[in-house]
Amino acid sequence: MKDLWFFLKLFKPHSGWLAAGAFLSLLTAFASIALLTLSGWFISSSAIAGLVAVDGNALVFNFMLPAAQIRALAISRTLGRYGERVVTHEATFRVLAGIRSWFFQQLVPLAPGRLPAMRSGDLLSRMTADIDALDALYLRLVAPAVVAAIGVTAVIVFLAFYSPLISLTTGIMLVIASVVLPWVFNRLGREGAEEIVVLAANFRIRQIDMMQGLADLIANQAYGRFSGFLEQFSNLMINTQRRNNRLSAISSAFTLLLSQIALLMALVLAAVSFKDGLLSGSDFALVVFCVIAAFELVMPLPQAMQMLAKTQKAASRIRQVADMPPTIKLGTATDCGFCQPFPPGEGWGEGGQRPTKALPASYDLQLNDVSFRYPDQQNFVLKNISLTIPQGSKIAIVGANGSGKTTLLHLLMRYYDPGQGSILLAGHNLKQFDVDELMTCFGVLSQRSQLFAASIKENLLIAKADSSTTELDTAIKAAGLENFIGYLPEGLDTWVGESGLKVSGGEARRIALARLYLKNAPVLILDEPTEGLDVETERDLFTALADFARDKTVIMVTHREAGLGLVDIVYGMERGVLRRL
Amino acid sequence: MQLTETDNQTYFDKSKAREKTCSAWLKEQGKTVRKPILFAAMAGIVNGSGIIAQSAALAFIMQAIIIDKLSSASVITPVMALGAMFILRSFCVYLHQTWGFEAGAQVRETVRQQLFAKLRAIGPAGIKQRQSGELAAVTLEQVDALENYFSRYLPQQTIAGALPVIMIIVVMPVNWVAGLIFLLTGPLVPVFMALVGMGAASANRSQFLAMARMSGYFLDRLQGLETLKLFGQATSELANINKIADGFREKTMAVLRIAFLSSAILEFFSAVAVALVAVYAGLGLLGLIHFGPAQHISLSEALFVLLLAPEFFMPLRQLAINYHDRAAALGAADAILAILEQDADALDIGSACVSQSGQTSLIEYNNASKSYDKRQVLTDINLRIAAGEKIALAGESGAGKTTLLNLLLGFEAATGGQVLLNGLTINRERAAKAISWVGQNAYIFHGSIKDNIALADPDASEQSIINAAQAAGVTEFSAQLPEGLLTPIGERGYGLSGGQVQRIALARAFLKNASIVLLDEPTANLDAANKALLLDVIDQLFIDKTLIIATHDPLVINRMDRRIELQQGRLVS
Repeated sequence: MKDLWFFLKLFKPHSGWLAAGAFLSLLTAFASIALLTLSGWFISSSAIAGLVAVDGNALVFNFMLPAAQIRALAISRTLGRYGERVVTHEATFRVLAGIRSWFFQQLVPLAPGRLPAMRSGDLLSRMTADIDALDALYLRLVAPAVVAAIGVTAVIVFLAFYSPLISLTTGIMLVIASVVLPWVFNRLGREGAEEIVVLAANFRIRQIDMMQGLADLIANQAYGRFSGFLEQFSNLMINTQRRNNRLSAISSAFTLLLSQIALLMALVLAAVSFKDGLLSGSDFALVVFCVIAAFELVMPLPQAMQMLAKTQKAASRIRQVADMPPTIKLGTATDCGFCQPFPPGEGWGEGGQRPTKALPASYDLQLNDVSFRYPDQQNFVLKNISLTIPQGSKIAIVGANGSGKTTLLHLLMRYYDPGQGSILLAGHNLKQFDVDELMTCFGVLSQRSQLFAASIKENLLIAKADSSTTELDTAIKAAGLENFIGYLPEGLDTWVGESGLKVSGGEARRIALARLYLKNAPVLILDEPTEGLDVETERDLFTALADFARDKTVIMVTHREAGLGLVDIVYGMERGVLRRL
Repeated sequence: MQLTETDNQTYFDKSKAREKTCSAWLKEQGKTVRKPILFAAMAGIVNGSGIIAQSAALAFIMQAIIIDKLSSASVITPVMALGAMFILRSFCVYLHQTWGFEAGAQVRETVRQQLFAKLRAIGPAGIKQRQSGELAAVTLEQVDALENYFSRYLPQQTIAGALPVIMIIVVMPVNWVAGLIFLLTGPLVPVFMALVGMGAASANRSQFLAMARMSGYFLDRLQGLETLKLFGQATSELANINKIADGFREKTMAVLRIAFLSSAILEFFSAVAVALVAVYAGLGLLGLIHFGPAQHISLSEALFVLLLAPEFFMPLRQLAINYHDRAAALGAADAILAILEQDADALDIGSACVSQSGQTSLIEYNNASKSYDKRQVLTDINLRIAAGEKIALAGESGAGKTTLLNLLLGFEAATGGQVLLNGLTINRERAAKAISWVGQNAYIFHGSIKDNIALADPDASEQSIINAAQAAGVTEFSAQLPEGLLTPIGERGYGLSGGQVQRIALARAFLKNASIVLLDEPTANLDAANKALLLDVIDQLFIDKTLIIATHDPLVINRMDRRIELQQGRLVS
């Protein structure tokens, strides 16, 4: 509940839209109930008045007003429904946009240290889905609940004018149908719902297992066994869902039954009052029709209750991620418009001043006795590493997967802070520099070349937003992209990435290389720069790099032999220990 | 970085064509569950008929009490009937929901089976391009997203077609003017349904697409946050995200404002029907209208048609609501079809048997070539391997060693020539029977060490598993683990060293006891001491087998009887 409340507070800037949406919903519901109620009253009044008229007496019933009211209600119900849908959707889109930018802001300090773990676990895409799920919070939860609460109260008060007893019984039934019943059935279904979460998690783990080990499974004739197992899991899930669905079906049946019982009671009570002369014939019909129409108010609530659990989970997952402490200690960030104030103590100490030391003129890097382990792991990834990389020197670190090479690079760029020892840039601890400023020193080429869903040009401009056409051309030529781009009908404006042109690994790497040229940073970090490329592209890439890196510091990590010609010194890394080869 | 107008348009157009394919596929799936869908629809129709009967009873009772002033005793029967209707309708609501569920459940079950079969057919090479997390999301969440289309939308479609017709048929004899009002305000139900369909569909589509596109954009930037930060663009990107979201909101709302008109029209007719019926019946009762049956209308008739007026439009309104389920199912179908439509090579269970001229070797490559697009990886490989040979497959990394082995395993199909095993064209099943394979990164599954060793033969005896573990040197480290061979080990062999994983994989291959053994760079991640140990183990384990080791390690090459060298995809010795 706390999590939902948190997000509701984020809704605040859009409260005008939200309130307007709820108001229009209420107006529509009111018109809808009033239309039926008034119609019922009008018909029976007419019947009674008609009887009198037939008997020969003068017609005393003013039929013009209610007939006009009925027409007015019909129109306002139509307009209200339309307005409600437009306004509530407008509100939802605004709210979601707000949550997205809030989440992005929360994530900025977490990148890049925390990001890889989220990416591999598919966590990010789940997060995006979770944020989308929050649209239900207003549209299906808050708005119907507000409408139901106000509407039910109004109906109860209205009925009390005619018959307090009917008002009471109907009120009780409405509350049972809208609050008690969904609550009871939610409780009954909770076990099953939790069971599904566990089953689904197991299913996911086993399937990921199966996909990653597919070659081993097929080669060992074990695929059928594993997929059969998963199908069993699927059946278990469906069986649990079946039980839950049965519960919810029973709950819907009960809701209907309750509304009908309320109607029956109203009918009987009204009949009794009528006999006793407490209720006129036309009011009899009015009360009955009002009770029938009133249940429309609570119809969306059982569904809203189910939504509640789901939305709650999404909200708490988003907050878990957003509340993670960054992997490095930062001062007070100034570029963080309206972030939450960060909890004092953990992760945010050191006086709260953003370090502003200007970047030095030289880029000598030095590691003094650096050891490091990831926060959630026991083993040290790097052990007592001391290394000096003077400006302009070129080194390579070779070693098997998992030996700690990439971690070393990440420490240099301050994705993490070392647990022990220190890393110096021109004699100053890295922590003394502003993180963003520090990043401008490094040009990175890695096996993951991130292309954004944008045009090639925009993808290049990330590196240097104000690049001139000549600069772009030079970078493209240097990266060997000339032919590739010349061949595309839309040239530089070709859309790449998601839903765009499929770019091969080699071409993506060349685009990353062009970015490297544009950024023109003094220190080049090459993390397995040719992994996954064919021999030819690899050769081209290193030829291009050799030229570009002439006056720059090069720190390359690789487990391939190609490219070692680029460097002067080769280090070997084995289980976190570095030695010169 | 902004989305341009044209791009947006092409995106919408492209998705429209795709939507047709997906919608056809959904219909195809619906055919297999006609029965439960029909039952669910029937329950809904009976429920609707119950409403008619209930309205009649209610109208009768009110007439009896208000106008005819009958005693309470005389309305007991209709009140009982009313009660009976309540129970019947509640029961129908239950049945409607449970039958509907069965339709969705059956589809989901079969689609999951299809997906699993397809993933096997695509094989390891084809599946490499996709993230396993994404694949799991398809078989899990996306398949689940199909449920409501079959359990709710399709039954409701039938109900919305049938119920209004039934109501008109019932109302006509009672009061043909009211019947006519129904008929005219819902201008011939099918026309209306098309209107609802188009409006709701376009509303849903644009809303769905806007959401999908926005979260796609958002996800794209989140995933690239590291890169953005590297180039100091994270903060400026935030402004972009907001701008894009705003642009999308405006464009989507422009579409929605029009699309919502269709539901407003539905709402309008529904409200107008109620109003018209009420005014007509009311004025008729007053004796002010002399058109149609108005003169002789009774209160019960008037109340009956008034009660039915809102119910007449209920099924259509419900259908409009369920359109959301359809949009969700279409999105899911898109993701599912992306896998089901992927081409599988014929190697899964390919059957063509080829007897070749001359004598049969155990393994034979005849002019085998392999290329990816333009890139030639293997060129005209001619190679014969006899039973019992011990072969080193040498070559630089990238020379094509792994591809050569993959062709033999059936993981990849040759683009030219053929690969034969015992004189028969290779396929995965044959290969899996005849070959034990340990890849460069042997995969360790969730489970115990023992389960992992017994992968090929889960029924292997305790003793034979222990023997294999001992022979491959697994027991040397498993003895130090808390539960020995039964110790659970997780994803990617978490907690085990590279050498230990290799040993488990070797024990796995040994236990399988196939006549051919392929090892791909078994010593790649090992230091010198471990390397020597492992090679001794390999020598002992596979002494009576045909052994092929892909390696560029001279130490390994020297131990083998025959050396085959690949250079840039060609055999050189």
